[in-house]
Amino acid sequence: MSTNQVIEELKKHISAFQKTVEVEEVGTVIEVGDGIARMSGLTSCQSQEMLEFPGGIMGVALNLEEETVGAMILGEYEKIKEGDTVKRTGRILSVPVGEKVIGRVVNALGQAIDGKGDIVTKEFYPIEKTAPGVMSRQPVGVPVQTGIKAIDAMIPIGRGQRELIIGDRQTGKTAIAIDAIINQKGQNMKCIYVAIGQKESKVARIVAKLEENGAMEYTTVVVAGASDPAAMSFIAPYAGVTMAEYFADKGEDVLIVYDDLTKQAWAYREISLLLRRPPGREAYPGDVFYLHSRLLERACNLNKEHGGGSITALPIIETQASDVTAYIPTNVISITDGQIFLETDLFFKGIRPAVNVGISVSRVGGAAQTKPMKKVSGKIKLALAQYRELEAFAQFASDLDVETKKQLDRGARVVELMKQPQYSPMHVEDQVASIFAVDSGYFDDVAVTDILKTEEKFLDFVRGGHQSLLEKISKGEWDDSIIADLKGVCEEFKK
Amino acid sequence: MKISNKQFAEALYELTIGLNASDLDIVLKNFVGLLAKKHKIKQTNNIIAEFETILKKKQGIVELEVTSARDLDTEIIKKIKESFGKEVFVQEKIDKNLIGGIRVKIEDKILDASVKTQLANLKKSLTI
Repeated sequence: MSTNQVIEELKKHISAFQKTVEVEEVGTVIEVGDGIARMSGLTSCQSQEMLEFPGGIMGVALNLEEETVGAMILGEYEKIKEGDTVKRTGRILSVPVGEKVIGRVVNALGQAIDGKGDIVTKEFYPIEKTAPGVMSRQPVGVPVQTGIKAIDAMIPIGRGQRELIIGDRQTGKTAIAIDAIINQKGQNMKCIYVAIGQKESKVARIVAKLEENGAMEYTTVVVAGASDPAAMSFIAPYAGVTMAEYFADKGEDVLIVYDDLTKQAWAYREISLLLRRPPGREAYPGDVFYLHSRLLERACNLNKEHGGGSITALPIIETQASDVTAYIPTNVISITDGQIFLETDLFFKGIRPAVNVGISVSRVGGAAQTKPMKKVSGKIKLALAQYRELEAFAQFASDLDVETKKQLDRGARVVELMKQPQYSPMHVEDQVASIFAVDSGYFDDVAVTDILKTEEKFLDFVRGGHQSLLEKISKGEWDDSIIADLKGVCEEFKK
Repeated sequence: MKISNKQFAEALYELTIGLNASDLDIVLKNFVGLLAKKHKIKQTNNIIAEFETILKKKQGIVELEVTSARDLDTEIIKKIKESFGKEVFVQEKIDKNLIGGIRVKIEDKILDASVKTQLANLKKSLTI
């Protein structure tokens, strides 16, 4: 386009421009502080509507009372004064959605904070949206491969499921979620990691780790840092799931991690108390259950008529001194389709990931497991259960009968096999092969401490000469001939 | 139950409407007594402000706040007054940032016909 053309085009635009008198509805700030403001006026303000304070600072109306409107402020509330004019925008808080957000680090409002330029998208979705209804859903049927043996084998997660990761601080909750994201490479999954109230240094480390493993190509990181206002921590999970919904609507599968919802509940409690809503148990407001249920209900597995997309949610809850009976943990446990318990004791015993398989469950994931995994994992679940029962008893008994001894030995080996270092997710076919080998007793003569080393050697051996067998397993095939072949491979390896 | 300033002001308006001077004295005295009893003396100024708005509303008085970039002619002010009703009080304000045009504030609405906003709108229409 030549300069003249541009000028002509501009002239046309400018001459076509209509002068209009703008009607704005306004209010006045009566009270401001600690991230909230109370205003008079704004007579027809909607709930959850965005309000504009002087200087372009945005707020969200939360409390609509007889005389006043209470709002949380998204941004620097220090600059707002009593008597300032507040404008209605008529818009509900929205975030940009689209392919452009993939690979980026954004704040709770969807603005880029990674220094790679602004995110320009065509579409904006409101952050609060009703979850899909009964008629648009279907049961979980496709697995999410986390790449973690203990989880894929015993606490399987399906696409569209909500699986809670719960445990004390420093038990490896984030590690499980990050490993799951890293393992989604090439699995046709988009991932969204929502960091709520976390140290910026921790988030930077996670982003670096994701980049290192090539996971940022399909991942968005939504950050509401520890120094951001509580309002940001409160809306960050909703912003994340809104971005996920864009892909789910297009029929894609999304994995979203909320790290962690305890901090979101704290942020919401702070805002609610400042807005003078009555406190309830543990000083949380009455609707703190709804806070999490409406968020997690948006995880879904849509049926074919609705595009067939899915959102799998992995919320994280941090407990204090393993107290899972506190208010927020019980709420979220009751909302989700199962939970992965992580324990400090196990962590310090060297069992990492420190998953307590005994009390961890996945209520719907079993339906999504591939056939080979379902067959081999059933047996080890039993072996582990028996092992745990005998373990305590065996501490007092010096001489045990052969059968008990065998069960103990097998159990110890299964426990050892479930150990897995961080950032080393495994393919499902490898998991099946090694679990099969241990379960069939081929590793019984290997010292417990050498199990992982032997497993590695074994997998190298299988990959070396029997790649086709692994391919069959990864496709979900499992019959007598494959079992026989696997047995053959194990025996060959033993020689 | 907590009684709001607005409710006090409304009550006062309804009590005082059409009273003669001597009755007014008694009503006001009782009203102040009530305020003291309800620990509302501190709120007196706010209640008076509420009372004024109620009074203006009932008597059909419109209060405008007209902001412009330069001093406005009396002629223009008169025109503005005429278009908003019979009894109009105008408070004038100067804000150089508007560049030109006027901005009228009436209750909790702002009618914006300033050059600044028009330019901002033009910019918006050109960028997208």
